Amino acid sequence: MRRKLGNLIRGSVLALTATMTVNAASAETLRYATIGEPPSLDLQMGTATLATTIGQHMFEMLYAFDSTFEPQPFLATGETISDDGLTITIGLREGVKFHNGQEMTADDVVASLKRWGEYGARGKLLVDDVASIEATGPYEVTIKLNQPNGAWKSMLAFPNGGPVIYPADIVTAAGGEPIAPENYIGTGPFKFNEWRNNRHVELVKFDDYTGLDTPANGYSGARVAELDAIRFIPVPDVGTRVSGVQAGDYDYAEFISGDLYGILKDDPALKIHLSGAPIFGLVFMNSKNGPLADNFPLRRAVLAALNMEEALRVSVGEEALWSANGSFFPEGNIWYTDAGTEAYSQGDPAKAKEMAEAAGYDGTPIKLLVSTNYKTHFDQATVFTRQLADAGINIEMVVVDWATLLKKRAQPDQWDMFVTHHGNIPDPVLLTALNNNYPGWWATEEKAVLDKKFTGTSDLDVRREAWAGLQALIYEQVPTMKVGDVYSYDIASPKLEGMGETTLIWPHFWGVSK
Amino acid sequence: MLIYILRRTGAALATLAAASVVIFIFIHLIPGDPIYVMLGDEATPEQVEALRTRLGLDRSLPVQYFYWVGNVLQGDLGTSIFFQEPVTRIILDGAETSLLLATVTMVWIVLLGVPVGVLAATRHGTWIDQGLSGVAMLLASIPTFWVGLYLILIFAATLGWLPSSGYPSVFEEGGISNLRYLLLPSLTLAAPNAALILRLTRASMLDVAKEDYVRTARSKGIRPRRVVTRHILRNALLAVVSAFGFTFAALISEAVVTETVFALPGIGRMVVQSILRRDYPVIQGVILVIVCLYLVINLLVDISYRFLDPRVELE
Repeated sequence: MRRKLGNLIRGSVLALTATMTVNAASAETLRYATIGEPPSLDLQMGTATLATTIGQHMFEMLYAFDSTFEPQPFLATGETISDDGLTITIGLREGVKFHNGQEMTADDVVASLKRWGEYGARGKLLVDDVASIEATGPYEVTIKLNQPNGAWKSMLAFPNGGPVIYPADIVTAAGGEPIAPENYIGTGPFKFNEWRNNRHVELVKFDDYTGLDTPANGYSGARVAELDAIRFIPVPDVGTRVSGVQAGDYDYAEFISGDLYGILKDDPALKIHLSGAPIFGLVFMNSKNGPLADNFPLRRAVLAALNMEEALRVSVGEEALWSANGSFFPEGNIWYTDAGTEAYSQGDPAKAKEMAEAAGYDGTPIKLLVSTNYKTHFDQATVFTRQLADAGINIEMVVVDWATLLKKRAQPDQWDMFVTHHGNIPDPVLLTALNNNYPGWWATEEKAVLDKKFTGTSDLDVRREAWAGLQALIYEQVPTMKVGDVYSYDIASPKLEGMGETTLIWPHFWGVSK
Repeated sequence: MLIYILRRTGAALATLAAASVVIFIFIHLIPGDPIYVMLGDEATPEQVEALRTRLGLDRSLPVQYFYWVGNVLQGDLGTSIFFQEPVTRIILDGAETSLLLATVTMVWIVLLGVPVGVLAATRHGTWIDQGLSGVAMLLASIPTFWVGLYLILIFAATLGWLPSSGYPSVFEEGGISNLRYLLLPSLTLAAPNAALILRLTRASMLDVAKEDYVRTARSKGIRPRRVVTRHILRNALLAVVSAFGFTFAALISEAVVTETVFALPGIGRMVVQSILRRDYPVIQGVILVIVCLYLVINLLVDISYRFLDPRVELE
């Protein structure tokens, strides 16, 4: 009896405490409706957008992009570069606390950078040029390069598959495995609280956060946690995400479909947040196998047949959400160039037919691999198939689901073209088309020459010139065809304060209150 | 009775063994590869191979099958490739939502389907019967996602009476009042199923009403209400009860659309997401559990016949 009574009292006290804590938290818990369940939040290892959106609140980097996409020192205080451009010495902020209470030192940074170089999703892009990474003081890290690398600072500021800083013991223990949720320890303004499958991932405010006090600018500057907690809740149906925000069950919902834009833009119950960074459709061509493998004139004929505006209008709809832009970077970006883009979106079937005949095309079916998981991909492929038929080019659509497409496209004999899309990136070095190992396997001599010029220097002007050459070459050898820029949009409760009008790449919630 | 149950259990185990082979083969026959889904766009071939070896997916299919069955026999359904968590835990996480949703839905189905079916049968041929049958036909034909979205739009977004989506466990803050999150989803899911039960009850009542013993009962001067409840309904329920069993099992596996629309953390949505991710251990585990559920329900339905109709011999 006594034990029962004891249990009862203990139970009630626990329940009471739980209610109190929850009440305190729910007052300022932001509820974010996500499109699905995120994969691992170990940002070094994966490139999923949702993982980055969530993880950037917990994990920080040496540099961070400002609103013009220029990397600014973040956990770093700045750098000195030797005259030959081969030795980079980075100073670190002192007194930065990890979520486990330890102070961040050069050892943590070195261990994190090394692990990313060896196993990280994008580590190979930098590590091949790196001779050594060493701690040259408690708050100083020195990176020695084999050859100058112009993209290093952007790479150290890009969290998507990038070198976020973890405590040394955690990265060392994890090695090539993704870090387990209980070890999600970073330096960010929010820390990991819990992950319940299919229900939510919850981050809570980190009280000992040591941030910058410069004004917030893009992802750089101060990151003040005004909210007590952020819950990321999977709500796969877009209609439910919208109704949920209208009903006040969610404060923010991501990836709303284009066809709802016209209705939602005037709805006083919510605010629209357009992405400031477009994603763009790409149609890759197979350089290893099949009729397109080395027939550049035939590839140009395919390109000449396509009317991208038509494809964008069909697949996206609302004009405010797309732009038929042939440059790989939007106008105003430091990497914008119109080199080669006269070949973009010609939509000229007669010319394409002539070009295809001249290229020796004999009507062999061209296998176009596309998935139904992304409606825009499938709509674009359907439009292209029709446009190419008008030019006498015979397309055989291979329609599969995304997981199958990922597997098939790794096999050169399974496809001639495939449809995908590309996220916004701060530096052309991150373009999948420039990666020799990416399906399509574009690795011509002309590319190698320009690539060397592009990556082998830190001089921005030289790099921009080389990039213009590369973009022109993409329109000449057509390893991939850009469909156009698509601006996704999210919706938020009007009660949220501190959200900008647009999001840069991933929406963030430091500096936001409700 | 005991022998009957033992024999049926034996048969169920044999079915289960056969099902395990079929499940395994079919899942691995789907093209696609969890490794590419996990590693994303730019994984190098070395990273792909390293992960494949780590997950044991480089072994031959029969070897993988025997590993899986061996572990299942020890109560271990494996580890999710995507979540890196035991499949048993993932299923238990989803089971609460799925079972509660199915139970609440069953309550609606029984409360709405049976009495209205009886009403339609007793008013056979009148405008009441035709009206009710028409409504039932309509409810059975409207797609659940449409019903669900409209219920959300009316009761959550416009009136604000009920939450739009999600389901916090009844074991959490809010306790039993969290069941309100299941109100709209259970109505959505109940609509087509209640309509079917209604039609089944009505049809089976009309069948039984033509039997000789019903005529005899009537001619003996038994009150009409008593004829309906004691003579017709009790016999008509036999078919309806077996439908209850299968409906309940189907509610677990078919709730996918409802779970997706209402963002419920149930088993149905979990399995569909896992198929898209090619998370083999989760798909296998969930389907195996659902097969078990069907087998158990089947057995219970058969046993319940014995109680509803003493003439049924359990052989």
